[in-house]
Amino acid sequence: MKIIETSAGALTNFELLDLLRSRGAGKDASRAIATVSQSEFKVFDYLEGTVACNQTREIIDNFVAECQKFDLTKAEILNIVNIRPRNEPELFPLVEECEQRMEDKTEELVETITRILPPHPSQADEANEEAAEGEEETEPEQAEGEEEQ
Amino acid sequence: MFFLSQIEHTLMLPPHLLSLPLDEAIKEQLDSIFLDKVIDKLGLCVSVYDIRSISGGFILPGDGASTYTAKIRLVLFRPFVGEIITARLKESTVDGLRLSLGFFDDIYVPVPLLFSPNRSEPDPGHTNRVDWIWNYMDEDYHVHGEDEIRFKVHDVRYPPIPLEPKDVKPFAPMVVTGSLDMDGLGPTSWWG
Repeated sequence: MKIIETSAGALTNFELLDLLRSRGAGKDASRAIATVSQSEFKVFDYLEGTVACNQTREIIDNFVAECQKFDLTKAEILNIVNIRPRNEPELFPLVEECEQRMEDKTEELVETITRILPPHPSQADEANEEAAEGEEETEPEQAEGEEEQ
Repeated sequence: MFFLSQIEHTLMLPPHLLSLPLDEAIKEQLDSIFLDKVIDKLGLCVSVYDIRSISGGFILPGDGASTYTAKIRLVLFRPFVGEIITARLKESTVDGLRLSLGFFDDIYVPVPLLFSPNRSEPDPGHTNRVDWIWNYMDEDYHVHGEDEIRFKVHDVRYPPIPLEPKDVKPFAPMVVTGSLDMDGLGPTSWWG
């Protein structure tokens, strides 16, 4: 075996998931007849558990275009697309020297990420539940504010 | 995490595959050779991406099957240093944590690379198990078994194959060392 090229390109989790899906990998009973082997299925199961399961090519192209103004390296954009940080502490380990390079643009970057990249389906349900609870909590606070005035 | 690599490999096509069209037969033979195997310096082979060219087809003297040389591209799992990966906890001992990705289990976070300050408490239910707890601003955060844990890749090693079978632990051809010593790493439930 001879190595011709060690690195002919990096793949995001989504691209590999797309490749496995095009070969016929699925979560349902079609497993037995698909031309995908057992070890490839383990990778497929792992990827379906990450945020890559909801992404599409357009979303990622859109995100990369919007990231131009943030001066991020390719590896950092790859990490962000694979992980989808939801807030600043989660973004911190992904971008090297976050504070010096980003200064006050971290909030803008987090907002861009949460706007363009879709969350994992299980996280979206939790976010909806929290939003519903949050609305119930703010109402008594407003009532107290009015009483004080 | 996943990279494409182009390699050239010479393989012999066993006769039971002769009824298939050539590229399918080569693909099946390549799958059995490369899938789920670690290639030194390249990583764990996850999938055969495509076959660029097939040449040869000669029968060498003394062989019963024809030999082909194929140029192919493989999808390899090769985390780079500094990458952030989400994994599940596999076991937690006095040496640190061991994490698993489902298809790859040899991810270790040794004690010096854990979050600090920390302390460990022996788990009453199981003997070797230890629970690691992070103490931050006077609050204790536990590492639960069901959480997804985010870690940063510290190092990737390919230890050489041992000549004699050592101890009980099966040989791991690729070992990833991770660190949890940064804001935003650790169980995702800690960081909301």
